[in-house]
Amino acid sequence: MAGKSGGPSRKPARGKGAKNAAPAKAIRVGVIDYKDVATLRKFISERGKIRARRITGVSVQEQRLIARAVKNAREMALLPYAGSGR
Amino acid sequence: MTHQYELMVILDPEIDERTVAPSLDKFLNVIRNDGGTIDNIDIWGRRRLAYEINKKTEGIYAVVNFTANSAATDELDRQLKLSEAVMRTKVLRAEEGFALVAAEAKRAEAKAARASKAPAKAAAKDA
Repeated sequence: MAGKSGGPSRKPARGKGAKNAAPAKAIRVGVIDYKDVATLRKFISERGKIRARRITGVSVQEQRLIARAVKNAREMALLPYAGSGR
Repeated sequence: MTHQYELMVILDPEIDERTVAPSLDKFLNVIRNDGGTIDNIDIWGRRRLAYEINKKTEGIYAVVNFTANSAATDELDRQLKLSEAVMRTKVLRAEEGFALVAAEAKRAEAKAARASKAPAKAAAKDA
């Protein structure tokens, strides 16, 4: 009984988290490459920041690859660094 | 121990674009002399930079794939960085990228196989 009631009661407690977890369908990506600027642009905001996983909806492993690719692309001036500039 | 590498360089936009290939080749002799091989050279040409580097807003991009040992690769990178015409370099091991491409191809193949199998099964059930 206790175990059964524990399950549902925990859910409303993290209602805020549930609200966050609403990725509008994961963006499907094949191979992630730092040279593929068009694909990487989908994963950065207007300001050039890397979008959070809860927004992109990709897997942990993919998000890690994306983050690294974006950082490599930034070093080579293919993507802008995050900044207030436009 | 040889590895596959990918080199990207940003060259000064003020140099003539026709001289890019020969001058790049001169640098790559380091690899050839050490027993490495150049697999592919891709000169992207002039491209706008996302931000200014050395007060310049564009650069000439080139990507080279090669196979060499780590010592030759380090030496190539060192020599490129010494050159005035080179604005930025990046050397990455290409194997991981190739592994990703292969994994993706395998996944796509598996998916295609599943897709072709599923309708067949449904048809069999009907019969």
